[in-house]
Amino acid sequence: MDSHDFHKLLLSRGTFFCYSGLLSEEVLSAISGIVREQVTDIDHDEDLTTRVFGIFIEQAQNIIRYSDERLAQGGIGTVAIGHTSDGFVVEAINPMKSDNMLSLKENLDKLQQMQPKDLRKAYKQRLREGPPEGSKGAGLGFIEIARKSSKFEFDFVESPELLFVLKAWIDP
Amino acid sequence: MHLEATNRTPEVSISESALEMKGECYPEDITAFSEPILESLEEKLEPCDSYSVSLELRYFNSSSAKFFFDFFEVLEQAAEGGKSITIEWRYRSSDNSMKEAGEDFEEDMDKADYNLVEI
Repeated sequence: MDSHDFHKLLLSRGTFFCYSGLLSEEVLSAISGIVREQVTDIDHDEDLTTRVFGIFIEQAQNIIRYSDERLAQGGIGTVAIGHTSDGFVVEAINPMKSDNMLSLKENLDKLQQMQPKDLRKAYKQRLREGPPEGSKGAGLGFIEIARKSSKFEFDFVESPELLFVLKAWIDP
Repeated sequence: MHLEATNRTPEVSISESALEMKGECYPEDITAFSEPILESLEEKLEPCDSYSVSLELRYFNSSSAKFFFDFFEVLEQAAEGGKSITIEWRYRSSDNSMKEAGEDFEEDMDKADYNLVEI
């Protein structure tokens, strides 16, 4: 793909922010302010933009903590934010271990089926129970993404290494 | 204890009788941020009869949620121990997420005097 095609590709899908490479907490600190500003410039609805920002932070931190391609400071992946007439979309792509695929799929399938009040219950339950084994945070990231988004989709792509793709839509 | 707000952490003031937190919370290292606060709070709670807490947050990430849950547990335990604990969860009227978050934490507050305050 030529550079100008890459540029046009991003613009054509409404992507206005894209970071690809090593995501670390340091990188996140450096970019989160800009992301916040750009999202707020597009839409002045504070509730909406906070949801977009929140989902961006959760997806970025998932890459930092769990991407299978890692350096000392964090994980390799891509996080991108787009905006179209349908609203905002936040997507993240990162390599993952095939061992984890089934349990992750099961978890996300379940979350996808849940109504807002069930998601809220699941959130509170997880808060009280504490994070699951192997979790580097509170174990609430996906529930948070499910709660804050209008809908989300996920996929596992062999390319040839296994990539995890998560896409969340946020509309007013 | 007083912590200035940063782009990822709230302003925090902890005195002998009150704790105030204001801003956003998605720290680089939640443990490094939260441990001193919980320690200081427990230290201040021990000798007191009453303590008041005011939180005004615009955003917090999922890792911080666990911290706030633990934070409220400390306060509820102090209240169950006979101390008079007042908590204010302040949120802007347009901010549905923070209102819901305040309601989420309210559920586990029994003895502590917990109030949602719309600003």
